[in-house]
Amino acid sequence: MRETPAPWRFIQGGGWLLLALPLWVALYVLNHAVSEWLAFQVLGLTPKTHLGEAVAFLLYDTPKVLLLLSLVVFIVTFLQTFVSPTMVRDALAKRRAGLGNALASLFGIITPFCSCSAVPLFIGFLRAGVPLGVTFSFLVAAPMINEVALGMLFAMFGWRIALLYAGTGVAIAFTSGLILGRLRMEHHLEGWVQDALIAPALGELEEERMTFPDRLTLAVQGVQEIVGKVWPYILAGIAVGAFIHGYIPEAFMAGLLGKQNWYSVPLAVLIGIPLYANAAGVMPIVEALLGKGAALGSTLAFMMAVIGLSLPETIILRKVMRPRLIATFVGVVALGILLVGYLFNAIL
Amino acid sequence: MLIEVFGPGCMKCQTLEKHAKEAVAQTGGSHQVLKVSDYAAMVARGVLSTPALALDGQLKFQGKVASVDDIVALLKA
Repeated sequence: MRETPAPWRFIQGGGWLLLALPLWVALYVLNHAVSEWLAFQVLGLTPKTHLGEAVAFLLYDTPKVLLLLSLVVFIVTFLQTFVSPTMVRDALAKRRAGLGNALASLFGIITPFCSCSAVPLFIGFLRAGVPLGVTFSFLVAAPMINEVALGMLFAMFGWRIALLYAGTGVAIAFTSGLILGRLRMEHHLEGWVQDALIAPALGELEEERMTFPDRLTLAVQGVQEIVGKVWPYILAGIAVGAFIHGYIPEAFMAGLLGKQNWYSVPLAVLIGIPLYANAAGVMPIVEALLGKGAALGSTLAFMMAVIGLSLPETIILRKVMRPRLIATFVGVVALGILLVGYLFNAIL
Repeated sequence: MLIEVFGPGCMKCQTLEKHAKEAVAQTGGSHQVLKVSDYAAMVARGVLSTPALALDGQLKFQGKVASVDDIVALLKA
């Protein structure tokens, strides 16, 4: 076999990043001018009209969100190659309440988590001796503090809002895990789970060692997979965002989700829970809501309810938890989100 | 050999099952692909994140969609 030439090896080993990055920056910088040109010159729409503003928002936001999402997913997936559920489990095993809950909540930020993994993960943690309350902290933090959402918030609204989101998410996960642990609800797990917990464990899987190019390849695959999967959600989110941006009067939104309105936070949570949108899909809606004068606390509550408490995940978890435990779980988390919403509406 | 694909039925799990079948078709030989979607069975095998793949009862991949080449390499090893 012929040896691969050195420049090609350099490109494959990560050198292509040097080419891809300037291209990304150029597209991102040009996006605003191009979208305005398309909306107002090519399509001939009038600025400051409902339709004109809605279409301009659509044309500007679609490339912007997709570009940011690709970059964020790339960075996040790359970082995630350093963490695995097995690692987190071993770090949390036999931890006491308190420190264990704190660690679990922090791990929840970065750990890759898919709701279809929730059940095996939940049982695997319990089997390894991770206390129920600590496991709950992780189970709340992992979906609620979505690493992609965090990156997107940072890119679109700055570090303060990103930090607020992560900080309050950790606080909710920490506290609800602590409370759920105190309630001693182990016997509210389904019978087969209790049996599985005492069954002997089988062989463990050796973690594979990865090289730098391996990690980059995985990061690229992550971008292809996630962006390929979520773009319809993003388009739907942008369409809703564009509609809000162009047609909903500011006074109406400020009245409905404004901070002086006492029921704005519960309303936001109630709308958010049954909505199952992808973390990236919510961003354009959040952007448009904030732009129209919705209060930050209500908007954060809405976002957390959409991402953190989803109906499909609850249905999956019903397989391991009896109704009382799952109701307590959803109740405690929803309460946490409400408190966060009120807190930020009050202080900001 | 017996290839077990663990997953509750999400997209990734279906992709992994497809990859496993393709890998078997490529290598020939008498391999069997079995889709396991029962949570109790997954837990008994020590699966922590899905999709996962086991060869003759030994867990080989978890939390990722192994490529056809990955599985072919596994079968030939």
